[in-house]
Amino acid sequence: MKTIFYEVTFIINPVLEEDQVKEVKEGFESFIKERKAEIDEVDEWGIKRLAYEIDGKNSGYYVNAYFHAPGTIVSELERYFKLQDNILRNIILKYDNKMLKHRELQKKGKLPVIFSEIPEEE
Amino acid sequence: MLKNPAHPKKGNLKEKECKFSRAGVVYIDYKDVDTLERFVNDQGKILPRRVTGTSAKYQRQLALAVKRARHLGLLPFVAENLR
Repeated sequence: MKTIFYEVTFIINPVLEEDQVKEVKEGFESFIKERKAEIDEVDEWGIKRLAYEIDGKNSGYYVNAYFHAPGTIVSELERYFKLQDNILRNIILKYDNKMLKHRELQKKGKLPVIFSEIPEEE
Repeated sequence: MLKNPAHPKKGNLKEKECKFSRAGVVYIDYKDVDTLERFVNDQGKILPRRVTGTSAKYQRQLALAVKRARHLGLLPFVAENLR
């Protein structure tokens, strides 16, 4: 079956205990695996300060995941995130060719540098 | 920019260059907050092209990336340090 590359980022309630956070994360992983997703990478950024208050919270536990999956997964995921009370925010991105190229460079650690640390010439 | 060599502003104006084109970026990532912050003012507003010199193509991508970052609480919609 044809699969599409997706990236998902979501914010878990920071008030939860460590094992509860793990539970939410594993719940998500098993949810997408059940729907024939092939996980490429799951990256936890940990607790970060939010730029503004979301649902009365000033920080959040970020999880970032990449996976291949059939397109039908999107609507199911959207519903899943809505039902999870401990997920504050989420974003689901479908990768196009440019983004895939970016991802490849990212994996190799060869992303172009936009601002070099050397002070500007002149 | 200014073609007239006698223009009083000549010499004061710096040629602006799109930083993304120069670096050969293919896609502007919303996760790259450090870069995005440079294209946003103290209030959290996206800086116009005429200030940063970003090309139209990348300005569009940049705007999308900033908006995604805002949705996820990585960048503020409005910064409220001054009031």
